[in-house]
Amino acid sequence: MADTKVTRRSMLKGMAVGGAAIGATGSLGAFLAACGSSAPTGPIKVGVLTDVTGAFGVVGKSNVETAQFAVDEINAAGGVLGRQLQVVVADSASDTTTAATVARQLVEKDKVDFVIGTVTSATREAVKGIICTTGKTLMVIPTSYEGGDCTENMWVVGAVPNQQVDPMAAYAIEKGAKTFYCCGADYSYPRNMIKQFRAQVEASGGTVVGEDYYALTDTDASPLVSKALAAGADAIFDVTILPLSVQFLKGVVGGGFKGIHMSPLYDEGVNSLFGADVQGVISVQDFFSSGDHDETTTKLMAAYKAKYPEGIFASSFNSPAWYRGIYMYKAAVEKAGSTELAKVNGAFDGISFDKGFGGKAAMKAGTRHCTLPMFMGEMQADGSVKVTEDLGVVDPTGQCA
Amino acid sequence: MTPELVRTIFDTASVASILVLLVLGMAVIVGMMRIFNLCQGEFVMLGAVVAYLCSTFLGSTLIGIILAPIVVGLFGSLLERTVIRRFYGSPAGALLATFAVGFVIREVVRALMTQQGAPVPAPIPDSVDIGGAQLPVWRLVIMVVTILAVAGTYLVLGRSSIGLRARATLDNRELAEATGISTRRMYAGTYAVGAALAGFAGAMVVPGRILYPDIGIDNLVPMFIAVMVGGLGTIEGPLLGALAIGVPFGLMPALVNPVFAQVIVIIGAIVFMRLRPGGLVNR
Repeated sequence: MADTKVTRRSMLKGMAVGGAAIGATGSLGAFLAACGSSAPTGPIKVGVLTDVTGAFGVVGKSNVETAQFAVDEINAAGGVLGRQLQVVVADSASDTTTAATVARQLVEKDKVDFVIGTVTSATREAVKGIICTTGKTLMVIPTSYEGGDCTENMWVVGAVPNQQVDPMAAYAIEKGAKTFYCCGADYSYPRNMIKQFRAQVEASGGTVVGEDYYALTDTDASPLVSKALAAGADAIFDVTILPLSVQFLKGVVGGGFKGIHMSPLYDEGVNSLFGADVQGVISVQDFFSSGDHDETTTKLMAAYKAKYPEGIFASSFNSPAWYRGIYMYKAAVEKAGSTELAKVNGAFDGISFDKGFGGKAAMKAGTRHCTLPMFMGEMQADGSVKVTEDLGVVDPTGQCA
Repeated sequence: MTPELVRTIFDTASVASILVLLVLGMAVIVGMMRIFNLCQGEFVMLGAVVAYLCSTFLGSTLIGIILAPIVVGLFGSLLERTVIRRFYGSPAGALLATFAVGFVIREVVRALMTQQGAPVPAPIPDSVDIGGAQLPVWRLVIMVVTILAVAGTYLVLGRSSIGLRARATLDNRELAEATGISTRRMYAGTYAVGAALAGFAGAMVVPGRILYPDIGIDNLVPMFIAVMVGGLGTIEGPLLGALAIGVPFGLMPALVNPVFAQVIVIIGAIVFMRLRPGGLVNR
């Protein structure tokens, strides 16, 4: 037995040396296949890293459902390169320390082929080194975020600031707004969104008359409401987050604000928390579940509803991005003909997926970020959304170029 | 007066009165009883849960506000009998035990919730025009109710015979027992009153916000700072502390960057506690 092992090992060694020479002629794959020691055969392991419990548990549970939905579809249609996908759930529990631990397990113990996940940027920061850098594992980030993360082996399939912000700024300017008030929670996402918004309106001749942030530990929004009302702006660009955003919206509506209220954080997934005061708020997302859709999306929504009758499928839960992220990985693996990291990385750049929720999305070559179908919607008192404009596909700008 | 000035005064009064209302139960349990009750925030949250359940299933937040102190008070008295009673002699034990209880309550509520939060409508959702500023009526109601609740608590604990017995028990248990007071019942009753007041505060404060599992613990730090600034041993100390913290919390954001406002108030509180460790009302 020991003899066989040594023989096999020396054979692999020989292969590596020979491979370097043969690789140059481009026939390494064929050589390995001929040796019969090539492609692994078991299932392709999909590491699903999200906050199943803790403060973001509702979002995480929905993420797991969406991942399972996509994986089941792919498996029913024959898998990827003839292999089935297998979901391995890692619960980061809305806690960065836990996230680091479960990320290590995914990479070292479960040896997943790729990881999709994170809810917050704090979690992404806590796990990206472990997964992408030292773990040498491909990671797909299915969230809208503040932009600018160009970590190796990482691919972002959610929206970056310009994709949501630019259409809103243009809308308000077109509606005649001249003065703008911006506010949000004090961390990177709101600050980057507001930076982008300010640049857009100022380039169009608008004026930002106030920009305020509140501490994440604040529990009372009334001082911020007073600042927003005192600013007397034509439009408010609101990046306050739950739970304080409810107080903020109710405060400005109750305080008599009659201008345009815009936020990147509203859709059917959260509208019910705001009650009837949500009426008229403008948002831009990569998908709204209300209204009419193309044939592909209509079928997908019916299938999702049938599988998860109580499930929440919404942009604010990153659902469309989770779905597209798993399919983009599938497309990249099929294009690469392998699950090997370097090859999938090479294939991922520029990969596109046109059977997702809302329409066609594609990785914009050389940016690690995604060109997305975007929609503008007006929130309705019953929590639904009236889609007011199909913005077509919008490129991410200023990312990793 | 400009509408801006009206709003600033209103915000200051509103933020301060909410903190006083939240601290009221803590003034009894932490201030009078000197139990470092880390599940005080969860009592507040449970009160908000009662308000939510009543508004959803009975269609009336108001019924919830009336029921919340009863339900949370009963829960507090059950908790006193099963857990708190074992830790009267050991403050560190009480700290850990109440932290654990709070954690369990929070996670159970989280597990039961299927949304990121749940809206609770205010019994009076309207705004009223005062000096050109549209102000939410419910916040004005909270201010009035806070004054009444403080007065009521002070009368019961400070002026009534049952309050006298409670204070006697807390001051000197052996002596109180020797005079025929059932100190076990006094402790249990006082703790339940503290829980009931927290539950009432939770039910009053949640309308116009959303109910979420961390609504209590998110308020715990300012509540504790208020109690420490106010000083232990009396009921009025923590309430004055809540005013001392709440007024700048409401006023400062109008003058400086709101993020710095919080930091300034907390640093101020720490410096004050260093200079006067006994608090505002030292006993």
